[in-house]
Amino acid sequence: MSRQIQYLIAALAVVAILGGVVYMGTRTTVYFRTPSEILAEPEAFRHKPIRVGALVEKGSAHWDAQKVRLTFRVTEDMEHFIPVVFDGVKPDMFKDGQGVVVEGRLGDDGVLVASQVLVKHSEEYRAEKSSKSKGRSAMETLGQ
Amino acid sequence: MKWLGWSSLAAMAGVGVWVFGFTPEDTNMGFVQKIFYIHIPSVVAAYLAAFLVALGSLGYLWKREAPYDRLARSSGELATLFFGMVLATGAIWGRPTWGTYWTWDPRLTSALMAFLLYAGYGLLRAFAPPGEKQARLAAVLGLVAFLDIPLIHLSVQWWRTLHQPTTFFKVDQQGRPTPAADPEIYLPLFGAIGAALLLFAFLLVFRMKIQAREEDLAERLAGHETLS
Repeated sequence: MSRQIQYLIAALAVVAILGGVVYMGTRTTVYFRTPSEILAEPEAFRHKPIRVGALVEKGSAHWDAQKVRLTFRVTEDMEHFIPVVFDGVKPDMFKDGQGVVVEGRLGDDGVLVASQVLVKHSEEYRAEKSSKSKGRSAMETLGQ
Repeated sequence: MKWLGWSSLAAMAGVGVWVFGFTPEDTNMGFVQKIFYIHIPSVVAAYLAAFLVALGSLGYLWKREAPYDRLARSSGELATLFFGMVLATGAIWGRPTWGTYWTWDPRLTSALMAFLLYAGYGLLRAFAPPGEKQARLAAVLGLVAFLDIPLIHLSVQWWRTLHQPTTFFKVDQQGRPTPAADPEIYLPLFGAIGAALLLFAFLLVFRMKIQAREEDLAERLAGHETLS
């Protein structure tokens, strides 16, 4: 067998193995689950550490600064909702309708007790154009 | 050579003035979004470095000539450097926006993998006995490592991630490109990428020159040893 063919076989093997790993990874593990996936079989997810990715339901968020407790509901389709309670500081970019990834455990009462609330920001970048800060550059805001 | 160094310094200073003095803030993120002008150029430089490692590796396996090996070796160090920059600036950006420095999402994990692969490539180059065999092994690793680059880039399309999907290669449902950024925001980015590429070119040329001298020195020393 010529050297080139040996190299070709080795290269194909490496690509095939890596491709297989990636493919299986896609099938078996995901970074987060959605509320509808979890509510379809809640027993499978209860009491285990999970990540839930969804949007903050509009009007559901309540921030209790005294108790340092944030409660809200997440949904991705406005049909399946999971209530979340998070004992910790409200993230700066947390707001109604915001995409979030919540890490925590689902209790018997169906409430997700969060250990971390991550804010998933969008890929959009828009220049600040509101009348008050029109054309205001970072240099100017630095001086404030 | 010298002009390349000075012009990259001047370009970076110019872009700094542009970004901090004349670029409006992002509506959602405000001031922290500025790190975008270091994060994305670092990504571009890191991808380019990885590509040059693969190119040099392929060339070396094919032709067995030292300049290809020198290109791969020098680019490997730049890939480690710029992937390190990507991870560091990403972590700094992630803390105020996401609320965490790090999470094991596919985009971040595949980027960390690239950093480790090129760091490993550097270790191989530093500690394996020098010579033709080391260069050959490194070339194979340099090619395998490159497979991670499309994985990083497509990870946000293939999998669920915390990291946002692509801004500049975004397409609508008909497949037409619809970049999701205002020109005031993205024009300085082109400047920043240009500055990063100048720095990249400077570092690469500089490093390859040092490499050539090291090889020359090693050759002379070897000759000297046989004399004494």
